[in-house]
Order: sequence, then C-alpha cells, then structure tokens
Amino acid sequence: MIVPFEHVLAMASALFVLGLTCTLVRRQLIMILIGVEIMLNAAALALVGASAFWQQVDGQVFVVLLMAITASEVAVALAMVFYLRHRKGTIVADQFNRMHG
Amino acid sequence: MNGLELIALTPVLILVLGGTALLMAGAWYRQPDPLLAGGISVALAAGLSALLLTPPVQEIAGLFSSTPYARFFTLFWSLSAALMLVISVRYVKERSLPAGEYVSLVLFATAGMALLSSATSLIGIFLGLEAFTLAFYILIACNRHCDLSAEAGLKYLVMGAVATGFMAFGIALIYACSGSFHLPEALQGLAAAGALRPWGLLGWGMLLVAIGFKISLVPFHLWTPDVYQGAPTPVVSLLATGSKGAVAAALIGLFASGPSGWTDMTSLLWLLSALTMLVGALCALPQTNIKRLLAYSSVVHMGTLLIGLLCQTSDGLAASVFYVTVYCIASLGSFAIITSMADGTSEPTDLEQWRGLGYRHPVRCGVLTVLLLSLAGMPPTAGFMAKFAIFHASIQADFIGLALVGILASLISFAFYLKVIMVMFMTDETAPACHPGTTLEHSVLAICTGAVLLFGLFPGLLFDLIGSILP
Repeated sequence: MIVPFEHVLAMASALFVLGLTCTLVRRQLIMILIGVEIMLNAAALALVGASAFWQQVDGQVFVVLLMAITASEVAVALAMVFYLRHRKGTIVADQFNRMHG
Repeated sequence: MNGLELIALTPVLILVLGGTALLMAGAWYRQPDPLLAGGISVALAAGLSALLLTPPVQEIAGLFSSTPYARFFTLFWSLSAALMLVISVRYVKERSLPAGEYVSLVLFATAGMALLSSATSLIGIFLGLEAFTLAFYILIACNRHCDLSAEAGLKYLVMGAVATGFMAFGIALIYACSGSFHLPEALQGLAAAGALRPWGLLGWGMLLVAIGFKISLVPFHLWTPDVYQGAPTPVVSLLATGSKGAVAAALIGLFASGPSGWTDMTSLLWLLSALTMLVGALCALPQTNIKRLLAYSSVVHMGTLLIGLLCQTSDGLAASVFYVTVYCIASLGSFAIITSMADGTSEPTDLEQWRGLGYRHPVRCGVLTVLLLSLAGMPPTAGFMAKFAIFHASIQADFIGLALVGILASLISFAFYLKVIMVMFMTDETAPACHPGTTLEHSVLAICTGAVLLFGLFPGLLFDLIGSILP
C-alpha cells in the first residue's frame, strides 16, 4: 500500500464525523439523508482500505453489498420524503412535532 | 452456496419467496382476506420447516448458522409474525391498508429477523438488520389516513438511517482491526494487542451504538415512544417483539462466542444497562398514553436483558434467552389487546379511555392484567421467573450493584403497570365500550396468556429447551 493504513482510517473517520455533523445540524430532511450517505461512504472507504491492507477481497465484496443496501434505503427514504412533502407541505424535520412527552 | 446450504436456509426462503408471491398477487388482487390468510400460512409453513427440517450443514456461506439456537428463533419469529398477521386481519380491512404490501413486508421483516438471530458474521448481522429495518420504515408509515403514522415513520427513518451509518462504520473498523467478518475471528482479533486495537475498540463501540438505537437503550431511546404511539398497533406488536428480540438474540450469540475483548466494554455496558433501566422506569411514570407507556416498559426490559448478557455465564445467557422469549410473548399479547379494541377510526390509547373498561370488557382487561403483571414480574406469571433468573445469574456472577439497580427499577415499574390496572378496575364506569373483538383476535390473546401462565408455572419446560440449544 502506498498510503499508510492509519491515514486511510483517519480520512474515513473525518468523513464519518462530517456526515454525522450534517445529520445532527441540518434540519432539511434531504440534507439529513445526504449526511447519512456520507457516513455510509466513509464506511465503504474504510472497508476498501482494510481490504487492501489485509490482502483479502472480503471487504470489497461487503462494499458492493453496502452499495446495494444504501440504494434501497435511499429509494425508501426518498419515497418517504415525497410522501411527507405531499402530506404536510414541508420537509423540515422540526415541523413534525405532534408527539412528545 | 450449494444445495445443502439452500436446504438449511429453507425457512427463510419460504418467507422471502412467499412474501414476493403475495406482493405480486396483491398488485392484481386487492381482496385483503385471502392475502392475509396466505401470509399467515406462509409464516406458519416457515415455522414448521424450521421445526421439522434438520439442516444438513451447520453454517450457511459463513454468514448464518443453522444450529438449533438459530432454528429456535426462526420458529419463534415466524410464529410471532403469524400471530401478528392474525390480529391485523380486521385492522387492515377497517383502515383500508394495502393488504398485499402489508403482508409481504411483514414476511420480509420476519425473514430479516430470522437471519439476524442466526448471524455468525458481521455481514450477516448487517444484512439481517437492514432487511427488517427497511421493511419497518414502510410498515410504520403505511397508514395513509393518519398524520401520526407519517410522523412516526419519519422519526424511525431518520434514527434508523443514522444507526445504519454507525453500524456500517463500526463493522468497517472491526474488519480493519481483525481482518475478518466472521464473529469468532473478529472477536479474537480484538483480544490481540496491536497498533490497530484502539480502532477495533472504537468499531465495537459504534456497533454498540447502532444496537443501542435498535433495542432503544438510553440515551438512544428517544424515538421509541413516538414511533410506538404513531405506528399502526399490529405493526408495533411486531416492532416491540421481533425487531428488538432479534437484535437481542444476535447479541446473545455474540456474547456466547466466548470471553474476548468484550471485557473492556464491561464498564460501559454496566453503565448503559443501569441508565436504561432507571431512566426508562422514571420516564414511564408520568405517561398517560398506554402505547407510550409500553414503549418505556420495553426500554426498561432491554436494560434488564443487558444484565443477563453482562454475566457472560451460561446461566446468564440462558436467563437472557428466557427473558427475551417471555418479554416478547407478553408484549405481543398486550398490543394484541389494544388492537382488538380498535375500530375503524379510533383505538383506546389514552388512559382516560381505559377508565373502568374492566367492567365493560372483563375478559380482555383481565388478560391484559395478567400480561402486565408478567411484564412487571409478578408470580405466578413467566415474567417473574424471567426476572428471577436474570437477577440470580447476575448475583452469582458478582454483579450485585447492577442487580440492585435492576430490582429498584422493577419496583418503580410496578407503579406504572399498577396504574393501568387500577384505571381499568378501580374506577367508576365512564369510558365508552370498545370493539368486542373477533374470535381470531381472542384466540391470539388466549395463546399469549396461556404461554405466559404455562412458563410461569412450569419454567423448567422452557429452561430445559434453552439449555439444550444455547450455542
């Protein structure tokens, strides 16, 4: 490996923290979902790096599975966003506050 | 994957293919009754095949096991799904939910739970968890005539998506540290000291966060009451039992794979367990909505379950399996009662609507009393034996402090369970009568109550079975 393995992990962690911050800070549903995407891509990056580090193909196979799962999750989530927008006329997460206690 | 492995996977294949067939059928044929009957028979067939078919191999593709432990939980989740579909029959018709999609999603979710309970690899855990989470995203929001259902769906979606991110990254770090997704090797990789060990520990911590979201440990429990309140009640009955129980079953399998790097996590798990029990019990006290109350009750139960896992002894693990089983039966029964009282537009969720209901519907309120007492842990119900086994194991494993916290939380829990029972029986008759319920719904209640009393009076039946299947 040309790049030290720790650097790959540090890069992936930075990406993960960015994604997590995005989900916590932004209130638009779409932005929250983008944050989740970034978190999942950080995981994929770490997996590819680890796969190269251990000289195995397992990690890369899991990345392919992860992509498939991410795609299905996005499909469901966007359908949900569309439905909520249709129903309530907004996709700001804070507007959905009828239940609390 | 070869033919023998496919035979070992039969129960899950039945669930998935049956679900797909019903989804296709539902696109053309919109009558709910045959679709629901089809779903119930598919779930029962899957359970039957898990019970009768001896798998020719012990592990499927290095991802899932087909040990008696896995088969027990496959059978259990299939039966839960069948009972859940039975109580859905009238609910789906009266609220005109899309029957084909509903039934197939329930079956897909059940397949995910069966896979998760039998996972022997981190990939298996991830796939199983995602399989039922994706189904629940839709199921929770599937009541299109209800604002609360949409809101609950949104909350579960956001929380679930974040948990997925944590789980994927945690698994990536564990793999980076140990070089294997297979659980025994992944845990071994943590035990060896090395430059990558901190990353591995961080990975297990993140996996724990994701699991904490799924089984709603404090402080990751905030979605639970809202989702339980807003989601359709039959869906909650599966969400509270199957989705939490399957994660718990996977955790039990994880802890059973032997002492390992987990010892570093003990203090963290101790804290999580104590916090979950106390915060859950205290938050439940002021609740006036019975679905929210049961949500907090499930939080307390998951904290108590962690005690049994922490013991890391065979007694503790057996007690945990017993606890999960009994909790699921009682919880499913409680939500089944609420469902049986629902009519086309409303259901009694507010405690005001339960005032004096014990005189109008003595049998069902009596059954609810038995189930709540089981959740509270009163003899002669199974809940008492479950709590007793957990606390006994924890004292033997020298977790006396945690056992004391658990007993304290149980005492606080009595207050809110008794509140419901008192509202039902000890007030003047004021609440209007609810739907009388159908024979099908009553038979589900009879099964749950019978099981709770049977395992309470003869706990040895279940304990012997669990002792013989533990990995």
